[in-house]
Amino acid sequence: MVNLTIDGKQVAVEKDATIYDAAKACGIKIPILCHDKKLHPFGGCRMCLVEVEQMKGRLIPSCTTPVTEGMIVQTTTDEIVKARKLVLELLLLKHPIDCPVCDAAGDCDLQNLTYEYKVNMNRFVDEKFNHEIDYENPLIERDMNRCIHCGKCARICDEIVSYGAYTFINRGIEAKMGTEFDGPLNCEFCGSCVSVCPVGALNSRPFKFKARWWALQKTKSVCSYCGTGCQLTLGSKDGKVLTTIYDENQGFHNGQLCTRGRFGYQFVNSEKRLTAPLIRKNGKLQEATWEEALAEVTSRLSAGKSDPASVAALATPRLTNEELFLFEKLFRGTVGTDNIDHSAGYAHEALTKGAKASFGVTASPAEIADVQKSNLLLVVKSDAYETHPVIGFEINLGVKRKGIALRIVSDKKGKLTRLPGAKTTVHAPGSEIALFNALCKSVIDQGLAAEGVAGLDALKAAVADATAEKAGVTAEEIAAIAKDFASAEKALIILPIGQGYPGHNAALANAAANLAILTGQVGKEGAGLLIMSEKNNSQGAVDMGIYPKGTGLNAQAIIDGCANGNVKTLFVAGENPVVSYPNRAKVEKALENVEFMVVSELFLTETAAMADVVLPACSFAEKSGTFTSLGRRVQNVRKAIPAVGLAKSDFDILNALSQALGGARYNNQGEVFTEIAANVPAYKGLTQAGLKDEGAVYPVTLAAKLVPAAAKASAPAAGKLALVTGSALYHCGTMSRFGEGPMYVCPDAYAELNVADAAALKVAEGDQVTVTSGTGAVQVAAKVGKRVPQGVVFSPYHFGEGSVNTITDGSEVTYVTVAKK
Amino acid sequence: MSNAPAEEIPAEEIDLTEANQIIDKYLTLPGNLMPVLQGIQDAYGFVPKPTIDLVAERLNVYPSQIYGVLTFYAQFHLKPRGKFIIRVCVGTACHVQGAERITETFFGRLGIGHAETSEDLRYTFEKVACLGACGMAPLAMVNDDTYGKMTVQKVDEIIETYNARPMK
Repeated sequence: MVNLTIDGKQVAVEKDATIYDAAKACGIKIPILCHDKKLHPFGGCRMCLVEVEQMKGRLIPSCTTPVTEGMIVQTTTDEIVKARKLVLELLLLKHPIDCPVCDAAGDCDLQNLTYEYKVNMNRFVDEKFNHEIDYENPLIERDMNRCIHCGKCARICDEIVSYGAYTFINRGIEAKMGTEFDGPLNCEFCGSCVSVCPVGALNSRPFKFKARWWALQKTKSVCSYCGTGCQLTLGSKDGKVLTTIYDENQGFHNGQLCTRGRFGYQFVNSEKRLTAPLIRKNGKLQEATWEEALAEVTSRLSAGKSDPASVAALATPRLTNEELFLFEKLFRGTVGTDNIDHSAGYAHEALTKGAKASFGVTASPAEIADVQKSNLLLVVKSDAYETHPVIGFEINLGVKRKGIALRIVSDKKGKLTRLPGAKTTVHAPGSEIALFNALCKSVIDQGLAAEGVAGLDALKAAVADATAEKAGVTAEEIAAIAKDFASAEKALIILPIGQGYPGHNAALANAAANLAILTGQVGKEGAGLLIMSEKNNSQGAVDMGIYPKGTGLNAQAIIDGCANGNVKTLFVAGENPVVSYPNRAKVEKALENVEFMVVSELFLTETAAMADVVLPACSFAEKSGTFTSLGRRVQNVRKAIPAVGLAKSDFDILNALSQALGGARYNNQGEVFTEIAANVPAYKGLTQAGLKDEGAVYPVTLAAKLVPAAAKASAPAAGKLALVTGSALYHCGTMSRFGEGPMYVCPDAYAELNVADAAALKVAEGDQVTVTSGTGAVQVAAKVGKRVPQGVVFSPYHFGEGSVNTITDGSEVTYVTVAKK
Repeated sequence: MSNAPAEEIPAEEIDLTEANQIIDKYLTLPGNLMPVLQGIQDAYGFVPKPTIDLVAERLNVYPSQIYGVLTFYAQFHLKPRGKFIIRVCVGTACHVQGAERITETFFGRLGIGHAETSEDLRYTFEKVACLGACGMAPLAMVNDDTYGKMTVQKVDEIIETYNARPMK
């Protein structure tokens, strides 16, 4: 620690702190425009000048000057104020005073400092800039006339996002923030640049002219897309969520969001929201009252109590823990059926079966904080960036700042594979388990296995015939990864799971866990296995027990049961099986066949449109409760706006049904959390109030065990391409389709082909192609590139039109033919 | 750095062989962007866009950053340059000695202004601040040849001389 004095206050800080950091630590605010705590110091704006006793004669930029022992610092003297005023005058020389029409007004550092330093006149005169404003994309407006050249947009895009859209172009007075060839912005549209822009040069277009910043009600909550559990601040007014507000102090990610979190909120107030219950009358869904709708559902469920096996229920892991707990209690308890499941059944098995067998817990053994504490990351599929972009940022930071080694085993390339030092092994599609088995065998053969690992002999026997060739890679690559992984001080496997990744199942979780256990990379921080579940509350859904525990049917069997008549009543809370479960035709037929289906939903989805009763539900912005993100962090979700239309939260719906069916009744969701804490062992001791803003990671006690995993032999059919599904960067599940932001950037389904395959098929970028499998055929646009290897087709699963589940059947790889339409 | 080997990069409409050779030469050198860009400029006379994409991919540098470097340094050019670069000094001494008439005459004869290139790629015209030979003001240079005590007549003579030179 280094001791120094700032404005007469004694302060002790770490030796790598700057004067700015030290001042902040003791509550002294130094004005600054070019600083963000996540970025490297820049020293560009000269607002943070201070006087240092030991460095007399000049003013010192506090943000780039490291502290030294005994330093005596003054942050506000007449000379400093004079210098800062000059800086502001010079900035205002070029910066237009168009604050009345600027969306940043109220949240503008330049405006606030101009006010604070009373710069009400300017001694200089010059012309303003006359740059053309970039309106070419629907999400980010770039008005470089307002830019003050702090460089934060370029730095965040490079240091954290690793996209590198921006740079300083030209020189001297002509210098400006620009893009390659000074063209329009064409990037991932995560909006990180907008969030750190200290002025109104970069604006969120969806928020433009929606509300003054100071008129917004700010509510801290948690993003409702992927499982990362990013905290966000919703800005709302007049019952509408209008924007997300950047707060660098929120969450492990310091306020950093991806495109979905930042621009995907519009689904909340979408005009497509269901605003009243619907009941099917004469074959058509017609508006009804809540009383009618709930009475209908109650009578069906009540009848179902006498034959619980004929009742089944599917819930989306987007609901809160409280809602899911109620859901479980209603169906497993009051109705008495074990036919409950979520996420198509297979998407949670890496936790409910995989982690359960390998570690004795149904949660990810590692947590998100382990990413940055590791020495080596082994990422399964480059898609980890697309499925969980903000964890992708953590990987970027770890690799670039801390020099964490990055190994990627993937069936395609992606953004992560371009990180400095990244070593990528592209394996045959669907051969992940074979690859991990080969890695385990290599660890054993190289004598790198940790001592005294139980079950080693059984694993040895199971992987005896594992070879690198079975995964389509070389023995050298396997040996190198095995050696690096085993010899790293702390090595972490990152495994994304979800409905787009049927191959990322229990067996793959076991195979990956085997490698970690075998090499002793478990039970310490920065090591082990991080299972990244797909949706905002996927971990919570597992914790609340939303899967069959006894002889009940899983999601696939429920669909089969609907088809064969064994399931007569189906309750669907927010799931959209028609688009997201394998084999669309089969699902549609089954749902047509089921006697009675009730769907609680935000939108009239493909599934809801087939229901007998549709209940309008609330989005995450209209309710309070908790989500449990991947890595076991339980966080508070807070209500920002009243319910849209007549919608009710799933909590209210389930609570009403429970009461009507003679089950428990709760006064509020908080009571349910108390019951969760009492009943779910992992949540013991937690209270909603105790979660505060940061949430709490519940601990797990691991009982690590080697569990041999059998690799399926995959047989590529001659003349066919291997279709792998997954997540597109801009989407998560099927809900992001109702957010305008994601849909502007990525509106339609597509099939991504290798340039060589495309050339052979005479298919060009954007051509409509028909992709045919044994299950069906679908028409989508072609995307041509070098990301996917030859022989492989990639297609994201989120879309209703041209939905990829028309041609998939839930296997790891689907063999398809592609033809130009 | 995960620098890419040459064969993965497809050939664009311009011949990238030379650019690839230049990148190969500096591939493992830390801070290789400047020498690579200088090499490309020497080889092609300017930095064509396809070479920027190539450099970005093979050196794993953002294209935007390369563009930033190219626009920062006056030595780099993003458009084709003339075979003969005419530079007329407009520094203080030359200005006093009537440099403006010289630049205007070039403009009148060739139809190209500052930093412009004739359509036939024969000439690029530039006004420069000082060429370091104020005693010979007003001064002009064509490539490495210096012409002192410039007059309007001399402009015509220079143009006649270089018009007669072969383009190859």
